[in-house]
Amino acid sequence: MSSIEECVEAALREPLYVACASVAVLLVAGAVAYYKQLRFIVKSLNRNKLRTGLTGVATAVLVFIITLIWSILWFLDLVTTEKAKDFKAIVTERWQLPSQMPVSYGNSLAEGAASRPGDIVPQDNMTWQFFGGTIDPAKRTRENIVFFFCMEPRKLLTMMDGIDEFSETDLEKLKRAISEMEKDKRKVVIGKERLEAMNKKVGERLKVTGMNYQDIDLEVEIIGEFPAGRYGQSAVMNRDYLNDAMDDYNRRLAKSKGKHPLTEKSLNLVWLKIPDTDAFRRLSEQIESSSLYTNPAVKCETASSGVASFLDAYRDLIWGMRWLLVPAILVTMSLVIANAISISVRERRTEMAVLKVLGYSPGQVMGLVLGEALLVGVVGGLLSSAGTYYFINEVMGGVKFPIAFFPAFKIPRDALWWGPMIGGLTAFAGSFAPALAARSVKVSEVFSKIS
Amino acid sequence: MTEPIVRVGGLHKYFRRGSEQIDVLIDLSLDVPEGEYLALMGPSGSGKTTLLNLIAGLDQPSDGEIWVGDHLISAMSEAELARWRTRHVGFVFQFYHLLPVLTAYENVELPLLLLPMSAAERRQQVLTALDLVGLSDRLRHRPGQLSGGQQQRVGIARAIVTDPTLIVADEPTGDPAARSAEEILNLIVELKRGLNKTILMVTHDPRAAARAERVLHLEKGCLVRETAPV
Ligand SMILES: Nc1ncnc2c1ncn2[C@@H]1O[C@H](COP(=O)(O)OP(=O)(O)O)[C@@H](O)[C@H]1O
Ligand SMILES: [Mg+2]
Repeated sequence: MSSIEECVEAALREPLYVACASVAVLLVAGAVAYYKQLRFIVKSLNRNKLRTGLTGVATAVLVFIITLIWSILWFLDLVTTEKAKDFKAIVTERWQLPSQMPVSYGNSLAEGAASRPGDIVPQDNMTWQFFGGTIDPAKRTRENIVFFFCMEPRKLLTMMDGIDEFSETDLEKLKRAISEMEKDKRKVVIGKERLEAMNKKVGERLKVTGMNYQDIDLEVEIIGEFPAGRYGQSAVMNRDYLNDAMDDYNRRLAKSKGKHPLTEKSLNLVWLKIPDTDAFRRLSEQIESSSLYTNPAVKCETASSGVASFLDAYRDLIWGMRWLLVPAILVTMSLVIANAISISVRERRTEMAVLKVLGYSPGQVMGLVLGEALLVGVVGGLLSSAGTYYFINEVMGGVKFPIAFFPAFKIPRDALWWGPMIGGLTAFAGSFAPALAARSVKVSEVFSKIS
Repeated sequence: MTEPIVRVGGLHKYFRRGSEQIDVLIDLSLDVPEGEYLALMGPSGSGKTTLLNLIAGLDQPSDGEIWVGDHLISAMSEAELARWRTRHVGFVFQFYHLLPVLTAYENVELPLLLLPMSAAERRQQVLTALDLVGLSDRLRHRPGQLSGGQQQRVGIARAIVTDPTLIVADEPTGDPAARSAEEILNLIVELKRGLNKTILMVTHDPRAAARAERVLHLEKGCLVRETAPV
């Protein structure tokens, strides 16, 4: 019993299935109500393939543009909406980019530099150290490079954004991988798309030659993979492995070569979770005024405030996209469809009259016209958004628009239902007037010789 | 004699064009007994089509009553008329007016789609109608692939497929392009005999009138004469 419920629940969480299911339900409902007419609708659309095709393509192009715009807006909303509760602060080096802090900062920052009773202590924390390397030092092409977030593996579950969007099975696999990573620091998890690019599989071992860390080479075993999507290109390693390797280097080579140049510089970023904005203000004050972090100094900000202030410059542009461009495109779509449908209704006035003579009621004639438009709109919209989703995300790997820590942004799965919905609604809006005209075709006028 | 199937009394129909009122039918009364083959003749513009459309429930009168069987159709709304037409009227057009995207079979099936019946029943009825007009071998042909006479036979099959009370035909042999008038007339007469249908036909064609049981002459919106067929 529960397994069926789980399946349904899992399916509902996947917008692709929701979109497909709702389109299927719509088509089945329409087909049941109109199944005898559906064939006629399809044949009517088929008679002027060029016009039907052009209308469908116009719908698809406009849905494509709207999908892109909405994806950008959707994404910007997501990253700039400050969650009132449970948000995260980022601590980085104050004056320098990229931020490079001593590993020793990590422990006290994790406590929010709390020193007195009553100080704010973060609810959770995560440290990031970046280790980039190549699996083929002779040939450092893009495919051969892998870029690890070195962190405490268990923090993947509590601190990483978007892991909660993983499916049940992906999450189970990740949990198993994490416990393996904690037992054996050489085990790593790499994103599916990165693995494909490197032509590697789970279970294989890699020798990664350090690129930002000179002379630090790490042998790793791939124990799991992130699903395609947000973490598809990412890789995660237990931070102990990197830190132990640095210690080992310094022990072996301190005398001959001196300490590794990144010894006091290998902590790049610390994430802290706090309950609310008030706690954030106090935490930020606590950390930035602490005497522990003077060389180098650090800053503490919220993840979204950085992005929001960056985007402030584009505020008018974003406003225009949302409130001028999108409505203009929707209106254009409706007009394109209205034009095509009203031409075809005008051409077929006699046919509409014949249908009425045969006993089709005004409402049924209107339904046939709306049905034609809806079919073109919904199918055009669905193909367009599915195509956009596949092309942008799978072929192009997202739209390159680097802000914050996102190398590129993806078309959200929600777009899969935007398309058919926009297509359907604009088709409905555009065909309503011509459908009314078809509804009120007067048989006696069509068949009388009016002299 | 049985009660007439069509009873028209005090029928007026006018159209408005701007401020002008055009009286097309003036105080017209008419009874048609069940099973009669009635021809309507008259000069162009005399109101033949208008009268036929009113009896077929395609338009509403300005004044007067029209009964067909037990139905007072002059009082029905447009949607009620549509529902009534499906069951009770088969219409044969001068220019056939088949839907070009549908096959002969599908054209004949079209009115049946509005009636509650199983797919098997529907199929049976379509095949029977097409058989009656002698087109069993042209089921999958589109109108464009049929001759004028064949198209009109499909039109007739479409008119009889619902087994209607009335068959109404507006100049069915009037298309000058059709050399098959004789053939169509034979078919209509044959169907009338076989199915005992009431037929109202507007025609200019003396050959068509010659086969009718009664011929009415319309002039300027009034019935002027009734003749027996010559
Ligand atoms: N829908 C209409 N609107 C205005 N005038 C009409 C309309 N239908 C018919 N008429 C007029 O009514 C008259 C009779 O038309 P009709 O019944 O078609 O004649 P017939 O079929 O005898 O040639 C004509 O003068 C025609 O112009
Ligand atoms: Mg006429």
